[in-house]
Amino acid sequence: MTQQSVAERLLNWAKDAGAEADLIVNESRSLSLKALNGALEEHNANSALTLGLRVVHENRVGTAYSEATDEDALRFMLDQALMNARYSEARPEEQIAPVSALEKAPPEDLNPEDETEIETRIQFAIELESRLAGKERIRNVPYNGVSDVIRSREVYSTQGAAVMQSERMQYAYAMPLAADGDDTAMQAAMQAGRHFGDLDLDALIDLAYRRSTELLGAGPVATGHYDVLFDANVQAQLFQAFSQMWSGKWAQDGINPFRDRLGKTVFDDRLTIVDRPRVTDGLAYAAFDAEGVPTQETQLVKQGCLTTLIHNTATGRHFGVSSTGHAARTAKTSLNVGLHQLFVLPGPDSEADLSADTYLVISKLDGLHSGINPVSGEFSCGASGALYRDGERVQMVRGITVAGNLYKMLNQVRAVGDSVRWDDQKQSCMAPIRFMELAVSGA
Amino acid sequence: MLTPDVARSVIDHGLSLGADFAELFIERQLRSNVSTLASTVESVQSGIEFGIGLRLVFGTKVLYGYTNRPSGDELKRMASELAAKDRRDPRTSAVAFDYRHPETIHSQQKILSDDPQIDDKIRFLLSASEAAKATNEAISQTRGNNLQREQQITIFNSEGLHIEDTRHYVRSVITAIASDGQNQASGSKDMGGLLGWELAEQVDAAELGQEAGRQAMVNLTAKPCPSGTMPVVMGNGFGGVIFHEACGHLLETTSVAKKASVFHDQMGEMIANEKVSAVDDGTLSDAWGSINIDDEGMPTQRTQLIKNGRLTSFLADRLGSEKTGYARTGSGRRESYRYAPASRMRNTFIEAGTDRFEDMIASIDRGIYASHMGGGSVTPGTGEFNFAVREGYYIENGKIQYPVKGATLISTGPKVLREISMVSDNLSLACGMCGSVSGAIPTTVGQPTLKVDSILVGGNA
Repeated sequence: MTQQSVAERLLNWAKDAGAEADLIVNESRSLSLKALNGALEEHNANSALTLGLRVVHENRVGTAYSEATDEDALRFMLDQALMNARYSEARPEEQIAPVSALEKAPPEDLNPEDETEIETRIQFAIELESRLAGKERIRNVPYNGVSDVIRSREVYSTQGAAVMQSERMQYAYAMPLAADGDDTAMQAAMQAGRHFGDLDLDALIDLAYRRSTELLGAGPVATGHYDVLFDANVQAQLFQAFSQMWSGKWAQDGINPFRDRLGKTVFDDRLTIVDRPRVTDGLAYAAFDAEGVPTQETQLVKQGCLTTLIHNTATGRHFGVSSTGHAARTAKTSLNVGLHQLFVLPGPDSEADLSADTYLVISKLDGLHSGINPVSGEFSCGASGALYRDGERVQMVRGITVAGNLYKMLNQVRAVGDSVRWDDQKQSCMAPIRFMELAVSGA
Repeated sequence: MLTPDVARSVIDHGLSLGADFAELFIERQLRSNVSTLASTVESVQSGIEFGIGLRLVFGTKVLYGYTNRPSGDELKRMASELAAKDRRDPRTSAVAFDYRHPETIHSQQKILSDDPQIDDKIRFLLSASEAAKATNEAISQTRGNNLQREQQITIFNSEGLHIEDTRHYVRSVITAIASDGQNQASGSKDMGGLLGWELAEQVDAAELGQEAGRQAMVNLTAKPCPSGTMPVVMGNGFGGVIFHEACGHLLETTSVAKKASVFHDQMGEMIANEKVSAVDDGTLSDAWGSINIDDEGMPTQRTQLIKNGRLTSFLADRLGSEKTGYARTGSGRRESYRYAPASRMRNTFIEAGTDRFEDMIASIDRGIYASHMGGGSVTPGTGEFNFAVREGYYIENGKIQYPVKGATLISTGPKVLREISMVSDNLSLACGMCGSVSGAIPTTVGQPTLKVDSILVGGNA
């Protein structure tokens, strides 16, 4: 039975029970390989399927999920969702909304055929580990891997949604342990693409080697306030960690600090920030959101002015606006909102503006899962990177903390670079931002 | 689930491919999640997870796959595909299954499969939220969440193991948001354990809410934290995250076997101040990180990791034991059937000492009292760790002065263990989720209040 016929069956039962419903189907197949001491250490091959049902019955919402698709499991999931709905508050704004059809299907090259033999992948994994381990000052490579992931996301509803996106991603990463006497350092490097051929073994080895070994001998800078540039990965992680600042759901819940700032200048006027789900260079491409609503480019901030929050149909209805195509929900979660591919557009400032005088470039922030507070905008994290003066590296830096308030920092900007760069995971693409005078704790 | 006959045929097939060891981990898990926002029910969710993980070991190489389909043919196909490059003549034959079902010491009265108790959970969360809101008119929002789950596991292996267990987990958390019109701050309080919803009878919902509200108000009025290297007094309970990150992860054979731990060659040596003794104990009744058996079927145990500063044991799973030569400690754990097991912590804590909190504060000219900690992380190979302060105070001239916000603490495991100079007698434990190579698992952290003489405090003053 196809997933579509499973969905049709389930949704018909929901209608028979007097409910509207939608169903998310998450399916994945993956292969991952890890090496140690010049041989394959782990070989994982997996497949998984999860169905997530959301019902709306008498204006009350209930959700349930199942990893089994037999009739008993489907019936049980529906019964559970209906039971859960009975406990919920009546929430008229959350309905199973009719959605527009996609103008065209997601591009097929998101999920390319790849005939790469398993031997080739194994050889890649072994070479990645053994060539790195053989380099000077590398003690070992305890964390490394190569993966091939195919996943699909389908949304069906009693209001006519029937959409599917299938995609393939190839990853490789290595985190070598560099050592020089008692001094040790570790830093990861990764690559991501749609085709196995996108992975560049030599470049990955060089990057992982450089990132780890250049931290040997590094030390803290003096405690004080420094201008800070975050590298592409860290800047993307920082924006991701505080992505609730765009959330229409948090605004509805009364905890988004920007909830009353629409139309106002909230950030430096050199900042224009856009969500671009349909850019196919990114690996977070999305043709539709978790309600099946077609995605679109959404301008969040225009020259420092907050132009919109992101909405699903429920938060949109609450605020009297349309969905922006940002419904977020996995098979196992309830309806929320989420960004797709965040872009910070090029600003007016040159490389010379970015690299004038003294500043830190932070290439790793530790503790972004715990050292941040999206409610207040504050963060304080362990960090490493390098100190620069007029574009020249003065010293490598580790053993420091960097603290600030992102919501305020976006108003305390020294420069916004005139070019953009993807992060390694190709989830976001941003111009570099030089922030003024962040608190750095060090020596 | 999977019958023993089908499991037998899959394991026999795995051994026929030349595996030294074959194992099936079968899991069925029920989940129920209730969320509240202010005085309303935000969402009620439930789900069933089911899957089977197959592990084949060739020497020290691990082949792992999982599927949602409880079919012997599918599992054999997966085994053949996984072992395609490793196939060899059989090395061993399977031992007949010896069925076991461990006794449990944990409370299992109000369990999910009997009744999700949703009405009662809603009442509990709304009562806690109301109490949080009542702490101060500046409390602008409250959130409540309750997660209960029931994990049934069955393990078969080629050494004749056939064992089943059921784990009942429950956890509630209340979060309060305080606002003064310009700034927002948050506070939270949680409780949880390896037991049924009878946990609610042991806890006062109002106290839970009041604590979340109190912390939000402290953080709303807190000043930016000073930066620099200074002494820090760490509160009991979740303060134990320091040991979890600074040391616990470095004692797992997952990193020891790869020499990716700074402690891999220091067994029997002094690695901490002699005031420090630490334990990883899976046997504590009803504790969040407890288990009856680990996810390889071995009975859990109490493992003394450090005694008076000296390293006495690592945490070893099956493969970690084979690779390092250290005995298994019943520490093979995994989030679900989607992960191969790895050595992981259970309830990990520094044991009580004899020092007094007042003496710790009085001994500090300029420092921080971190009364409540947030989460953290560690790089095992270098021992560098970080963790966040959720509620902190500035100390000057031997006295607590005012609350501070936005602080994080960083150091390395070997250094901070030697810098612990005072340990009090008020040991308490707290729930956490630990993420690592085998997924996110429930672990308890804990400690008495202790003093670290020197650590880097990252603040935003």
